[in-house]
Amino acid sequence: MRFPRHRTPALAAICAAAIALSAAGCSSSASTQAGPVATGAAAGTITWMANQFGPTSTDVRKTLIAAFEKAYPGITVKLEQAPSDEDTYRSELVTQISGGSSSFDVYNGDVVWPAQFAKADLALPLNSYFPSSYWDKFSKGMVPSLTYDGQIYAAPLFTDNAFLFYRKDLLAKAHLPVPTTWEQLQSEAETLQKDGLVKYGFAAQFNSYEGLTCDWTEFLADAGGSSVNAAGTRSTIDSTAAVKALDYMRGLITSGVAPAAITTFEEQQSESLFDSGQVAFLRNWTYAYADANTPANSKIVGDVGVTNLPTFAGQTGPGYSVTGGWNLYINPHSKNLPADVDFIKWMTGAQAQTIMAEQGGVLPTVASVLNNPRVQASNPAFPVAAKNKLNARPSFVAKYPQLSEAIYTNINGALSGSVSTSSALSSASSQISAALSSNGL
Amino acid sequence: MADTAITARPASAARRRRKRNTGTNVAALLIAAFVALPLYWMVAASFKGQADITSASAIPPHPTTANYTNAFSSYAFGTYIENSAIVAVATTLLVLALGIFAGYALARLPMRGKTAIMTALLMISLFPTIAVVAPLYLLLRDIGWLNSYQGLVLSYTALMLPFAIWILRNFFLTIPKAMEESARVDGAGPFRTVLQVILPQALPGVFTAGVFTFVAAWTEFIISLTVNNSDRYRTIGVGIALFGGQFTTPYGTIFAASAVAMLPIAILVLVFRRAVVSGLTAGAVKG
Amino acid sequence: MTSTDTRGGPPQTGRRPEASRPARRRPRPPRSVIQRGSARLGWAFASPALLVVAAVMIFPIVFSVVMSLSNVNVTGNGFQLSGLTTHNYSILFGSPRYWHDLEFTATYTVVTVTIEMMLGTLVALVLERLTRARGWMMALLLMPWALITVVSAELWAYIYNGVYGMLEAGLNTVGVHGVDVLGTPLQASIAMGVADVWKTTPFVAIMVLAGLVMLPADVVEAARIDGASAWTIFWRVRLPLLRPVLAVAVMFRILQAFGIFDLPYVLTGGGPGTSTETLAVLGYKVLFNDLEFGPGAAVAASTALIVLVVCLLFLKVFRTQVAEQEG
Repeated sequence: MRFPRHRTPALAAICAAAIALSAAGCSSSASTQAGPVATGAAAGTITWMANQFGPTSTDVRKTLIAAFEKAYPGITVKLEQAPSDEDTYRSELVTQISGGSSSFDVYNGDVVWPAQFAKADLALPLNSYFPSSYWDKFSKGMVPSLTYDGQIYAAPLFTDNAFLFYRKDLLAKAHLPVPTTWEQLQSEAETLQKDGLVKYGFAAQFNSYEGLTCDWTEFLADAGGSSVNAAGTRSTIDSTAAVKALDYMRGLITSGVAPAAITTFEEQQSESLFDSGQVAFLRNWTYAYADANTPANSKIVGDVGVTNLPTFAGQTGPGYSVTGGWNLYINPHSKNLPADVDFIKWMTGAQAQTIMAEQGGVLPTVASVLNNPRVQASNPAFPVAAKNKLNARPSFVAKYPQLSEAIYTNINGALSGSVSTSSALSSASSQISAALSSNGL
Repeated sequence: MADTAITARPASAARRRRKRNTGTNVAALLIAAFVALPLYWMVAASFKGQADITSASAIPPHPTTANYTNAFSSYAFGTYIENSAIVAVATTLLVLALGIFAGYALARLPMRGKTAIMTALLMISLFPTIAVVAPLYLLLRDIGWLNSYQGLVLSYTALMLPFAIWILRNFFLTIPKAMEESARVDGAGPFRTVLQVILPQALPGVFTAGVFTFVAAWTEFIISLTVNNSDRYRTIGVGIALFGGQFTTPYGTIFAASAVAMLPIAILVLVFRRAVVSGLTAGAVKG
Repeated sequence: MTSTDTRGGPPQTGRRPEASRPARRRPRPPRSVIQRGSARLGWAFASPALLVVAAVMIFPIVFSVVMSLSNVNVTGNGFQLSGLTTHNYSILFGSPRYWHDLEFTATYTVVTVTIEMMLGTLVALVLERLTRARGWMMALLLMPWALITVVSAELWAYIYNGVYGMLEAGLNTVGVHGVDVLGTPLQASIAMGVADVWKTTPFVAIMVLAGLVMLPADVVEAARIDGASAWTIFWRVRLPLLRPVLAVAVMFRILQAFGIFDLPYVLTGGGPGTSTETLAVLGYKVLFNDLEFGPGAAVAASTALIVLVVCLLFLKVFRTQVAEQEG
């Protein structure tokens, strides 16, 4: 293309500016290279970015902030609302933090983020700001899941377990016991449906998203398998245990126990359906109990029972529950580390954890609070949680998002019937291998 | 024979016109139904409480305005609307001001490299926004225009100008050259030619470009999310993305907020339609 | 074409005289002087707009393209780019998922754009004939376009919900149960297409309407007086004159359809499996879920390149006045 001569100087200027800016952008905020130091008195204002958790009617975050500011009069906490969609939230975090933003100091992050965020330097390693005894008070398994390469990258804020919610009234009417195996659940559900007591037998989260990885991990562990090996170096998803789990899940749909639309359900849809009274059994997180008993939302108030998830026949103990929940991370560009540390210490202290448990309806991460009889009594799900057999998703792998995606896209494909069980599992296996060897998309 | 031919034609012509009108009206009704049905569903859902949201009933069983009050009380939705309005209006004005002249120049004036420019504009507008958003954030951060009106307006203007220029240029191309010839002969300067001669003829095209720019700015999401993340400067799309929590998508509140957000555009179109209508019945411009 | 015809057709309203002669003849200065002056004027008119676009967009685009050719690490201190490599592109081209998504996106684009152009033109013709209701119809038509894409996708997800959606309820009334539209690949694609057509046909309709309204009335009148049927008038007279407008509409619809993100992301998440995953959704996942900015930028750059080639071919094929106006 030919430009008239008198135009080129201007264009050259633009290009130069662009290159200069790109150079500036590439090496941003050199100030943090020396490493932040938490010195000085903890005072001033910090911003806490968090999405909403707990019941939708009261904002437990504001309760927590008010209580914190009372305990620490010198520190003010500003709440910044995070997008409710987790992936949108993560994309915002990545852009902001890698762009050097210090517009928030402490942020809530999912339990599966530490490895990925640690590798990308998006969270501050916390070991040097907390004594090692600090980490002992958390329930077993919490801290290892936040560790990457020997450093701890977040403090456990609250945890989440999965339960089996069931309709007490329907089981009573049909004189059926609470199921302890998946096979039993299926036959009881079929009975209830045949007797015309309920439209659908089972609901869970089988959409093509992270939630399916949670459900899948549970079913697979119940069948005795896993998606990757313990070291995170090899895919183990193509196994007889996986075939058993997947065939069972698909069988729930083909037999009509679960609605065909379950392959498009996330927590929201499965929950709404259960609360409208059309489902007998629901696999969901802790929050579901409170929601099902809120008259404004639910038509089945008082008829909901909660118990541990079932397992497959022949296995011992209850079924596995995956650990969810959220942690507190520190923005590496935060300008008020002393205040951040105090905030985190308080939020993981007994007072805050009790508020979260009793008013927020979420499981505390501090063992002593969870075992407190008063806390246990505040939510029927808590005593059940104490008996839960826990399993974590393989998030210790830095490439966890690719891994999870390999799982949920293929499992969802098999559940919706568009691919066979065996081809889904082998496809998942090769994609997981590609992710683990950093060769895939 | 000629007489009966003359008298017969108007009657059949009138019959044909009436049939055409019925056909048109039926088609219009069908189109309106197809467009309106999902909208109705959305508005109906906005009046359903949380418990009824899963009831597939055409009429809300227990109508409630809780969703509307929730949108404005639990979230600073009023602020979001105000921000969106400021940004959208500013963007539209800026885009039209710059785009009209650029479009005219690229349509009618003998510049070299016009194809190249139009192609370059096309290339710029087809780059996926998601890839552009992170470097754009860096750019605005370096200028210091994050969390502001001007940062967003500038971004949107740059984003939407290519399309506006393309539309305006192509609309200007459909205006006969003779128009400008006669204006130039009459001694009108280039500025006045554009403003007083070309523009009135191209009003429908300008209206189109303006409406599209306004709507694009009003509904844009990903840049606004990244660039203006403080509550003070958030726009509507981002505001709606904040509704709910990790496990809840509050359809009722989302739809209520969206219904409210759609109203300004409806009002704008109704107000400005007169500009379009008058554009088409404008008298002949004498040569 | 002149008003000497006394056969009684509609009077000559002629908004614009077809080929008017200046009332007075003036001696014209040499063309080259006018050309140069006008060219300078052209640049004066165009440069503010071009400068704004260039200043804001060139850096991000160049940066993205550079990222697609480097090894990129996301860190808390910005993007660390190292090396010049085509590794990102080879990952892409070696990935069956990329090719599947490309194929799906291309098919989706062709189908939806064709339908929208036809429907949009039809709607524009109807709108043109309406007199009093036109403003209201336009306002109604703009409502889907004015909905935020994410909300529109949520609305359609709500409509398509297999248990409590409007579609399911409607099908139940005629005795069809348990249709899980979003859970089957082909049906999910069609469902997405319907949602897309609903939302964007107004865009085409309004553009075509504006074009129709701006057509010189006398040419159409002449054809009508000559006895041409409405259909012939449309095909032979108006459609060719609408070419520039239609070209823009098609090109930008191709652009938007090829880069469609919000709808598949919210409606299906790319599912079931990855059957409705578009290139933009893939790019987003690679960029922001996997934090692989190198391959992600490569997805974006390759998408842009493909669309560019398509658009350029399209322009050549339809021979719009781009070349004819070259100065």
